[in-house]
Amino acid sequence: MRKRILPILKRSVAWTRNHKLRMVGLVLILVATMPDAGKGQFLDPCCAMLAAGLTTISNRLNNVVGGGLNTILSVDKSISDFEQQVVWPQGLISQARALVGSLEGTFHQIQALTQIKVNSATLPGSQQLEQNLLSRNPSQIVQTTAAYNALYGTVPSATDASSELRDLVDMTDAAAQTAMKRAIEIDSLADLELEAAGQITQSVQNAAPGSAPILEAQADAWLIRANAYTQAATADLMRLDAVDLADSSAELKMGASSTANLRQGLINLLEHN
Amino acid sequence: MRLAVYVGYLTLFSLFAWFVTNLGRRRQVVAAVIAALLLIHLAAPPPAAAQGGLIAAVQAVLKVINGAIEIALNGINNVRAAVRNLYRSVAWPVELIAQARAEALQMIGQYRNLMASILNVNLKSATLPAPRALESLIRDHRINNFTSLGQAFANTYRAIPAPADASPEDRAMADMDDALVLDNLKTLKAADGATDLELQAADSVENAASQAAPGSAPFLTAAATASSVRSQALTQKMLAAELRQEAARMAHRNELRKRGATFTLQLRGVLINLLQHN
Repeated sequence: MRKRILPILKRSVAWTRNHKLRMVGLVLILVATMPDAGKGQFLDPCCAMLAAGLTTISNRLNNVVGGGLNTILSVDKSISDFEQQVVWPQGLISQARALVGSLEGTFHQIQALTQIKVNSATLPGSQQLEQNLLSRNPSQIVQTTAAYNALYGTVPSATDASSELRDLVDMTDAAAQTAMKRAIEIDSLADLELEAAGQITQSVQNAAPGSAPILEAQADAWLIRANAYTQAATADLMRLDAVDLADSSAELKMGASSTANLRQGLINLLEHN
Repeated sequence: MRLAVYVGYLTLFSLFAWFVTNLGRRRQVVAAVIAALLLIHLAAPPPAAAQGGLIAAVQAVLKVINGAIEIALNGINNVRAAVRNLYRSVAWPVELIAQARAEALQMIGQYRNLMASILNVNLKSATLPAPRALESLIRDHRINNFTSLGQAFANTYRAIPAPADASPEDRAMADMDDALVLDNLKTLKAADGATDLELQAADSVENAASQAAPGSAPFLTAAATASSVRSQALTQKMLAAELRQEAARMAHRNELRKRGATFTLQLRGVLINLLQHN
């Protein structure tokens, strides 16, 4: 083996001596193109600095970012606790919903009370008018006048009564009939209000604290409407009273006029005798 | 991966070395070497960053952490703390919430029983048996004794006259008057019952208010407002009954006036006939 290697080495050395330029070129190329060696963690100063830098960054992140976030978290947690325990406690919200449910039961009883039949007339004419007046159906209003006239009669003809009396009778009949018709309307409106109030109460049962005020606003609007209807009914009652007072006053005036006529008639009668 | 790079490199370098060692002329060798060096120079990757760049990068990151991030976090923290203070001291101060609850309880104690006792004062004033029975029935807040009410009413105000005892007009009007009176008395019995229920509902809402939270109170206010709508509806029904009753009273009086006109006409005819006969 040794005998084989030694001649090869001798020939290589000889070739190298003869081709110095080529060898120098090859060595240069080898040095220039040789891949870089990997850098060790412990021996390279760059890695140490990098580690120190990363450690500093980590510490800063822990102190500045972590500490800041922890402070924010603690404030947020206290806000969350406050909201859950003081502002929107689930237990009290459920309790309020349950109360609304029980109120709904109470209001069903009230609604049932308003539906009770109170008819009391016994004769056909009065039964017909009473049925019409208690119908709570606005489409029945067209029949009110006929039922009214059947019971209370119509305005006397021009040959049967003076024009003053006929005016008085007609106005009083009109006021009475209008009031009866308005009573049918008001009954019907009140039924619709009760229905709407029931719907709102049912919605409140399924509402959230954030949506309940919207329902409250809706209920407020209905309350304003209901107040307006109450005022309309009160206005009609006042109109009826006003007509009634005017009626009494007219009777007084007509009485005075009749007395004057009677006096004149008696004077004429005495003069003839 | 790294082994593959080394193997590839050795293979290529061996080929190149063979090529160089087998060139004939010196100039060709020089040219080949220069060409190879130029190619290597052109293809070589850029040098790695120096240590000074790394330090600057770390300092830049630290600057961002100590500057922008710290300022932002402090700002967020301040805002959240301000929100918490706003909630606790302005929007929902616990002391004022407790005070409102206590006030509700105090008002319950102060007014509820007093007002109930005022409303329940005995108003009955009739002295004779029939009126006493009727008075008791019209004030008992019950709706299951309408028949008794009708009987007590007839006992006090008497029944409609028999056909032989009164004209059909008088009988009809009396029947209508009585009917509307009874309708209203029945309506009022039902309304009294409804009033009792409304008062119960008001008590319930007030009880709940004394324990409510700001987040549960809107449920109570919405329900209470809906109750107010119902209350208005009941008031309207009572007004409607009042309208019917007043209208009937006026119609009755007007009917008497119409009949008066007829009687006057008839009387005038009788008097004329009488005078003519004389």
